[in-house]
Amino acid sequence: MFSYLVRRLLYAVPILLGVICISFLLDNVMMSPDAKASRVLGPKATGQNRREWIHNRGLDQPKPMQFVHYVGKLATLQFGTSWVTGRDLGEVFLKGVGPSLCITIPGFFAAFFASVGLALFQVFVRNSPLDRTLTFLSVALMSVPTMVYVIFTQAFLALGLSYFPAFGFNDDGFGMARFIMLPVIIFMLINLGHDARLYRAIFLEEMGQDYIRTAQAKGVANARVLGVHVFKNGLIAIITLVVAELPRLVLGSLLIESLFGIPGLGNVLVQAIQTGDQPVIMASVFLGSGLYLFAFILTDIFYALADPRIRLS
Amino acid sequence: MHLCRTLALMAGVALLVGCNNDPNPAPYHKTRPDGSPWRVRYMREPSDPKSFDPQFAYTVPDQQYLEPVYDRLLEYHPMKADPIELRAAMLEEIPRKELQPDGKVSYLCRLKRDIHFHDDPCFPGGKGREVVAADVQYVLQRLADPKVESPFFAPLEQHINGLHEARETGIAKTGKFDYATPVSGFEALDSHTFRIHLNGPYPQLLFWMAMNVFSPVAREAVEYYDGQMHDGKLRPTFRFYCVGQGPFRMREYTPRRAVRYERVEGYHTNVFPSDGFPPEKAEWLKQFAGQPLPLFDELHILIVQETIPNFVLGRQGYLDSISADKDSFAALITSDQQLTPKYKARGMGLEKVGLPSTFFISFNMQDPLIGKNVKLRKALSSACDMRAYVDIFYNGVAPVSNQLVPRGLFGYDPHYVNPNGYDLEKAKRLLAEAGYPEGRDARTGEQLVLTLEEPVESTEYRQRAEYEQRMLEALGIKIKINENTFARVIERLEQGNFQIGAGTGWAIDYPDPENFFMLFYSKNFPREGANYCRYSRPEFDRAYEQMAVMDDGPERLALIQQMNAMLAEDCPAIWEFDKAFYIATQPWAHWTHNHPTIEYGFNKYHQVDPGLREKVRHDWNRKPAWPPVAFGALLVAGLIYAVRWNRRRHV
Amino acid sequence: MMDHWFIQDALVLAGFALIFFLLRAGSRNERWQRAGARLRRDRTGLLALGIVLLYLAIGACEMLKLPGGTRSILDLFTAGVSPEKSYSAPLAETLLGSTRHEHLLGRHLLGTDVLGKDVFVQMLKACRTALIIGGMTSAIYVPLGALLGVLAGYFRRWVDDAIQYVYSTLASIPEILLLVAILMVLGKGLGSMSIALGVTGWVGLCRLIRGETMRQTERPYITAARALGQSHGKIVVRHLLPNVMHLVLISAVLGFSNIVLAEAILSYLGVGAPVGTASWGVMIDAGRTELGRDPLVWWNISAATAALFGFVLALNLLGDSLRRAFDPKRA
Repeated sequence: MFSYLVRRLLYAVPILLGVICISFLLDNVMMSPDAKASRVLGPKATGQNRREWIHNRGLDQPKPMQFVHYVGKLATLQFGTSWVTGRDLGEVFLKGVGPSLCITIPGFFAAFFASVGLALFQVFVRNSPLDRTLTFLSVALMSVPTMVYVIFTQAFLALGLSYFPAFGFNDDGFGMARFIMLPVIIFMLINLGHDARLYRAIFLEEMGQDYIRTAQAKGVANARVLGVHVFKNGLIAIITLVVAELPRLVLGSLLIESLFGIPGLGNVLVQAIQTGDQPVIMASVFLGSGLYLFAFILTDIFYALADPRIRLS
Repeated sequence: MHLCRTLALMAGVALLVGCNNDPNPAPYHKTRPDGSPWRVRYMREPSDPKSFDPQFAYTVPDQQYLEPVYDRLLEYHPMKADPIELRAAMLEEIPRKELQPDGKVSYLCRLKRDIHFHDDPCFPGGKGREVVAADVQYVLQRLADPKVESPFFAPLEQHINGLHEARETGIAKTGKFDYATPVSGFEALDSHTFRIHLNGPYPQLLFWMAMNVFSPVAREAVEYYDGQMHDGKLRPTFRFYCVGQGPFRMREYTPRRAVRYERVEGYHTNVFPSDGFPPEKAEWLKQFAGQPLPLFDELHILIVQETIPNFVLGRQGYLDSISADKDSFAALITSDQQLTPKYKARGMGLEKVGLPSTFFISFNMQDPLIGKNVKLRKALSSACDMRAYVDIFYNGVAPVSNQLVPRGLFGYDPHYVNPNGYDLEKAKRLLAEAGYPEGRDARTGEQLVLTLEEPVESTEYRQRAEYEQRMLEALGIKIKINENTFARVIERLEQGNFQIGAGTGWAIDYPDPENFFMLFYSKNFPREGANYCRYSRPEFDRAYEQMAVMDDGPERLALIQQMNAMLAEDCPAIWEFDKAFYIATQPWAHWTHNHPTIEYGFNKYHQVDPGLREKVRHDWNRKPAWPPVAFGALLVAGLIYAVRWNRRRHV
Repeated sequence: MMDHWFIQDALVLAGFALIFFLLRAGSRNERWQRAGARLRRDRTGLLALGIVLLYLAIGACEMLKLPGGTRSILDLFTAGVSPEKSYSAPLAETLLGSTRHEHLLGRHLLGTDVLGKDVFVQMLKACRTALIIGGMTSAIYVPLGALLGVLAGYFRRWVDDAIQYVYSTLASIPEILLLVAILMVLGKGLGSMSIALGVTGWVGLCRLIRGETMRQTERPYITAARALGQSHGKIVVRHLLPNVMHLVLISAVLGFSNIVLAEAILSYLGVGAPVGTASWGVMIDAGRTELGRDPLVWWNISAATAALFGFVLALNLLGDSLRRAFDPKRA
């Protein structure tokens, strides 16, 4: 197990290096230092202003030097400072993680419970007209763009019915709940269709197993078969599946955060894209790929835990 | 069942917290020390502050973030807009101009006594010290320091004596600016009196003094807040930490969410004016005359990038004013530019504001095709129906622009008729005379294709670009749009790598026509300046140089008219529109000032009535009860169905 | 270069020719014949297929230009629809909220948008954008993903390692950032959008095909072919590709719907379809502010959402039906 983990981590190094190369390359092809300066400083900046700005950030040095410098800083986990706000990125990310997780974790669990619930319900009434309708609805839910979910729920629940604040965020204890309800509902809706359908298939597959048939033949009540055996075994399969999504929750949700004014990492990222804040974008790429690789290791471990036949070696 | 319990629980929580849709956090206090209600003002800004450093912050939003904390040497009179009038803020009076024997110009300035910086750990004993003349010198040194990256250095270095040299000598030794370097343009007479020496006449200096660039900052604060770890605590950088001398102190800044300010006890730099009241508000304003400032206790600036929440939060009563943008306009304002009955009944007020600015489409005067063919440029200009454009994108509020100087400034001619204004028939005629009858080359018969650079970063810019393309294509020519981000468009404009560039324009730094005519001065070619058209005409340059340093008067006006005529003759740009929009104010926060041209500096004059706000907010946020009930019913129905279906299957 | 309409059309047509060729080649395969028979009995699947074909036909009408190269076939039908000045409600007689109550030049089934363009026509024209982006992206990522997947699964060892390395690296970069970055580098346009979506899109398919190929290579028929001394090329082309092709088909159909959905998000981030191109994503993004208007402008976003929803739903249902048809036991 331990040696496996070490090998996995070593394997991550070349990938991260590749990611750094790609992002550095794209960033340098994307915009000249001058365009970067005018993007950050605004249209009124004079040439001298921009030259100063470029010089102070070392963008006038030869590219290989910049690359070495950049890799060196990342290796020591120094992300540098944002160009637009001048803040230390370590601090920006630390402050942004909280609000992001406030949305994504409840959202993740809401989506998880709702989809598992719906899937179980469908298995319970399997092959009924309602089951078929719900399956169709799940596909329909999957076919709506995220933007539309956000726009319509914001328009109706927040603006039309005045149930929730249309915008904003506060982390003052329980009062926070009112800000995260709507984003959490949307997060749930976005994932519900896809997940419910998938889980239904998993549960149904479980239903087809021999031991279930044996249980049914013995006369165990339908609800009990479903609630105990199918639920338990199906859940294990599902958990090993969703555990891969957990690390990425840290990055938050781009659209939801920016449209609801949640000051999380997704919002940081959207603004960085819009204002051309290169250090933020590069650091996010690095962070995102790190989390992705972490998710892979996590999945492997969970597989091993769930299925004793699999050995990590 | 387990799932239903979760869902029921969620619905319950939703009901519970749904009772409140207020996005604002609780105020710092409920009441003032004297027992009267605590007054909070809620504002909105579309973007985060780029900095809280007065010598660095430049954009209008940044100046609005700064003004509660930093007073300026001078300020605009909050009531007198036509003509614009300056009044003393931190200075005793408007600085006197003195002509020196060598022909140079100086201004004698006297700081008010007993103005203190806010209490802060950066001062010995944590007690704010008095603002003195040396702090103004420190400001000039900061401008010269390249590490500050001040955008004000470039426009001021040629005017303030020794500023340019101070930078050269200041960084000569170590590469890092040495704050022992004197600026010869600053001469201290005593602790509170100083002279600013200029290289020549430059009346605009007074306007600069009304901007935050001249706000005194404490050297102690700049050196203390260095963004480093000290005794295990991280200090913020000065760019994001304020140690001011104004009516408020900044208490919290949460990026992408809000900035919160609280009033400073004992602020006495200025009081509410008692003259210049506009007649329609005079009766009401009399009660505030001479009162100590500010009129409220807490300022809350909500950072809202999107426009919809702006209108919605205003409608729900959580913002003190609503700016009537493209989408909320029809709801707020009727066709005859009045409040709609619904909002009038709420007791709202309406203010029209506009930062003087001119937007235009630039022609590249060095382009072999466009630059050489003045008739073609005039044809394109005459093809642009800006009235219709403004109707669609600005609800007809923004005035169509027909000259370089925007309204509200000296030199704007209300009777001027733009000879290159919209006239499609004339445009077609001009196009034929230019050698392209019906949009086709008279010799080869090929359709004329022109390239238009468009900054497109959102759907709205996309719509504008499409509209501009359509206007020009009405001539029968083909317009190829080259879409890019703003930065890339500016880059192309700077390199001269374009034919026609859209999205160019200028918003005022200070209310003086020089600030606009410099856009066509030949010494302001890009990279240093913003003459993207690369317009160069010696007579224009001579007139500009003369006009720039003149005091307002008939001679100056005559020169401006000459320059306007030259621009009309050469047509280096298509004038589009000036910026103007309506702001609807809530019944509890009617505006005390009425300044249609300056967008910052008046926050401390605002008033709010928290009692009224409390009362009406409840009425504006009623919630129907049916949706949770309907949701619950749906769940129950599903359950019943499931049980029945299973029973049937087993029978 | 990829933004010239002729090249776009040629690429999309080439893509469809490829699909047609594949289907014809597949019809000789026993598995495909059985699947075809099952699909013919699947009413939902047939309906979905019909809807998808309808969308494609409308898109093709807009895609193919009449001689002269400026007008499309669809323009022939919509020539009678006159442009207005700005917003008007569905079937309204005057401009929306107009100060002068101007009369419209004609009636519009779904109203007009901010620039006075007929929303119904825009909605139809947007089919072309979906078709082009979907078609070109598929033409890029499907061959790439399928081929690399088969190669990785068949040769294993260093080939597998190299391909895995490339796709792990790409997949670990947050997708939206990669898309935006590539689009910023290449500049806006349907062509660059397809390239960006193609570069990010092949990873999933490659992974899927790699796994399936690994399973197939364990099968006796491959071992037999190897024992008979057939060349690697022959084994890959003759035996492996036909046996994984149905997976490619299913993922291509489902991937098409993802591409159409992704376009909506790219529009929000300001790197969507270029100016002058009708697109559902842009219409939806415009609706973001239009829904805050009063009077409410709901028709633009609703029309785009409905059209997009119909297309994506049909594609998803078709994908499901195909999966059922090919693998009735598991579905």
